[in-house]
Amino acid sequence: MTAPHIEVENLEISYGNVATVGPVSFKVMPGEQLTLLGPSGCGKTTTLRALAGLEQPSAGSIRIGGVTMFSDVEGIDIPAEKRGLSMVFQSYAIWPHMSVFENVAYGLRVRKRPAAEVKERVHAALDLVQMGSFADRPASALSGGQQQRVALARACAFSPTVLLFDEPLSNLDAKLRGDMRIELRELQHRLGVTSVYVTHDLEEALAMSDQVVVMRAGQIEQTASPDEIYNLPRTKFVADFVGSSNLITGRVRPELSGDGLIAIDVADGVILHATQYGRRLGDDVTLSVRTVHLRVTKLQPDAARNVWPVTIRRAVFLGDMTQLHVIWAGREVVVRCTALDGVAAGQTAWLSVDPAHCVVLEG
Amino acid sequence: MRRISLRRYAGGLAVTLSVAAISLYPVYYLLQAAFDVGDQDVRPPAAYGLDNFIAIGDYTKILGNTLFVAFAATLMALVFGFATAWILNRTDVPFKRTLEQAMAVPYYVTPLLGAFAWSLLGSPESGLINQAWFGLGFTDPLIDITSPFGIAWVMALFEGAVAFVMIGAVMKSMDPSLEEASQVIGGSRLHTIFRITLPLVLPGVLGAAIYVFAEMMGSFSAALVLGTPARFYVITTAIYQLVSQYPPRIPLAAAMGVSLFGVMFLMLFFYRRMIARGSFVTVGGKAFRPRVIRMGRLRWAMFGICASYVLLAVVLPMATLAFASVQKLTVALPKWSDLTLEHYREAMDMNAVQQALGNSLMLGLATATIGGLVAFLLAWTIQRSKLPFRGALEYLVMFPQSVPRLVFAFGMMWAWLVIPLPIYGTIWILLIAYLTVFMPLGVRTITGVMVQLDKSLDECGRVCGASWAMRMRTITMPLLKPGLYATWMLIFVASVRELGASILLMGPHSKVITPSIVESWFATSSELTAAMALIQTAVIGVAIAIFTLVTRRASQHKV
Repeated sequence: MTAPHIEVENLEISYGNVATVGPVSFKVMPGEQLTLLGPSGCGKTTTLRALAGLEQPSAGSIRIGGVTMFSDVEGIDIPAEKRGLSMVFQSYAIWPHMSVFENVAYGLRVRKRPAAEVKERVHAALDLVQMGSFADRPASALSGGQQQRVALARACAFSPTVLLFDEPLSNLDAKLRGDMRIELRELQHRLGVTSVYVTHDLEEALAMSDQVVVMRAGQIEQTASPDEIYNLPRTKFVADFVGSSNLITGRVRPELSGDGLIAIDVADGVILHATQYGRRLGDDVTLSVRTVHLRVTKLQPDAARNVWPVTIRRAVFLGDMTQLHVIWAGREVVVRCTALDGVAAGQTAWLSVDPAHCVVLEG
Repeated sequence: MRRISLRRYAGGLAVTLSVAAISLYPVYYLLQAAFDVGDQDVRPPAAYGLDNFIAIGDYTKILGNTLFVAFAATLMALVFGFATAWILNRTDVPFKRTLEQAMAVPYYVTPLLGAFAWSLLGSPESGLINQAWFGLGFTDPLIDITSPFGIAWVMALFEGAVAFVMIGAVMKSMDPSLEEASQVIGGSRLHTIFRITLPLVLPGVLGAAIYVFAEMMGSFSAALVLGTPARFYVITTAIYQLVSQYPPRIPLAAAMGVSLFGVMFLMLFFYRRMIARGSFVTVGGKAFRPRVIRMGRLRWAMFGICASYVLLAVVLPMATLAFASVQKLTVALPKWSDLTLEHYREAMDMNAVQQALGNSLMLGLATATIGGLVAFLLAWTIQRSKLPFRGALEYLVMFPQSVPRLVFAFGMMWAWLVIPLPIYGTIWILLIAYLTVFMPLGVRTITGVMVQLDKSLDECGRVCGASWAMRMRTITMPLLKPGLYATWMLIFVASVRELGASILLMGPHSKVITPSIVESWFATSSELTAAMALIQTAVIGVAIAIFTLVTRRASQHKV
């Protein structure tokens, strides 16, 4: 078992006397990418800036590569310029008064590398982001996407062991964002660099990370792999924030539970079978059922549990998907499915769901 | 954690206390003198009391004069300012861009040159306008520039441009959709003006009024040039008179200075409160493109109003000075044979001018270079560092701005008479004075550029591993270069033209140019003075030109 490369323990950050973040704790293994995901104002960027040394925490500790960077107990606070990390900023922070080459060379020049090495590594870094032919351009003449690439090359050029990303793709248009997402992920694998990534974009977080930390109001809601975050959200907030989900409340009926499934009375005797996944269970529970996991069929499906006749209230065509609003157990649930022929508002159909996709939430 | 904070606190406290000492000691000595009721030959004072303030009561005429002139000048400045700001921001006046640039010129002409020129134009007996008037057969002068109204007129013309800038900013910050909403609902144009536009701009205009009134009360040069010969004093000229006469009446002057400073300080405090609370117009500080009203034929009348302001405040005064400087004795219709360049030759040959001009240029160079650098460091500390007490630091740095320069220099003079360093009467006290009084100007200018600089440009340098000094050298300073140049230029020009502080602090061997010109106005001919004033203006112009050339070449080399 290798040691984690980044260890954050009980980190707290406050402005004045108002605690804005924490306590938060997480670990990143060498070569892994961890993503801090959350709505704006949840403290994810502040946490990242504290890692970089740009924000002074009020308590807790940060260890990177086995070296304590910050610890309130030991009175250690290594300044940002001595931490040896690298960061891609949301605004890119490309220095407009320098050429592309000088921008990328900056970290190497700070480290007083010989000229030949600077040249070689700057060109290698620029080639990595396919900007090799731009070296002599003034940085002020670059487009947004090009600036993004130069910022990335600059961050990688001096071979840091840790890369921090502060919403690097948020200023790009949707198409470019999609391409860069894949490129960044490949680059990160190729360099084998440990990285921490901040975003409010769900797809970005799911596509690029080994681990996702979902944050809300300065606290961690859940830390897990992208797959687990999506399929097995732990709290209502995560279920709601990570993709669209139906949140269903009901009362546990222990006498009907069995086969490892929990039976829940969602309304007037309508029983839904759900999976506990080791979550705490009260008398009343909330479930998360992803809109894409629900099925609507014209014919009654051949399943023992979780099949109900329903009325379709509204069908909204979204292009790749069709969104159905169906009346079930006295409430409206949302189902997303690929285009279904002849489904129209007012018709009756069958609603079904695999109990494995009905996830019991905590709190 | 505690250790780190303690060192920071100590550092912050040290910086803040040093700045406090530099910007507050003149006020301390001023207060000491104002409350000194003991034996005048003993310092520090033997007894304290309020007698000096009570004595001000004997000078109600001066207080009345001050209030009257300041009030009249503010009113005129607001009328000019509002009319021109409205025309340039809200109407389709022709040559808008040119007019806008021309509106800034009166500031460069300065109230002193304005006062000289308007004295030549409008003094009751010999003024050119009155000469022409008498020529038409009238016996009473048409205008009297030495009257309170005349002084207020000159002050309004040359110090009123700030009203235009402030009111213009208010108009720019008003969202035009607020007016459009009123019209769409069915409000008539007049209804919209009275119920929407005016209430929205009123707080901003009121703020401008307070600010301008405070400035006018501390104004010195117009009243000095136009008022003193006729024994018409306002509080600033009275202070100057009391300090420079023999025997000087320091405690009374100090009490007047403290009172003036107190009133101005209060007014500026209220002004800042109004600005800080943010009148609802300036929410977010966002600038809108104001809706332009089509004026039709009237737009040429609008043009006429703006153009006549430029004419009265720039063209006419400069032309008058030039016209007077080439005559033996200024008359409205000179003969060819009376034209002469003798005054220029004489002015150039005068030892006082050569020395004073040399001193002024040296001081301007030193003040701009040292002051620009210090202003940069202070602005950086206030805006970008995490030093504790930054708020207090900003307040202290900006403090000299709320004290009239004459009063501030008076405090300095009184301080350096007892501080055991042989600086009083030398050029060094002028340097210290300039550095202190122009610090707010420098910090304000650099801050204006600095806040536009994305913080992450510096943060990225930090994360890349660059030390503070390296980031300053490679990132912050190069990016702020235009702002640094502008600051240097502003401080340089302000120093070379300084009057209020210099007139009290210069010694017989440390003359500077502007007070020398004023001395010449009172002691020699107005034609010679006009020549001197134009020489000073030309020298400043050449300096600006050289500086622009050098900096342009420097920035071209870099890119």
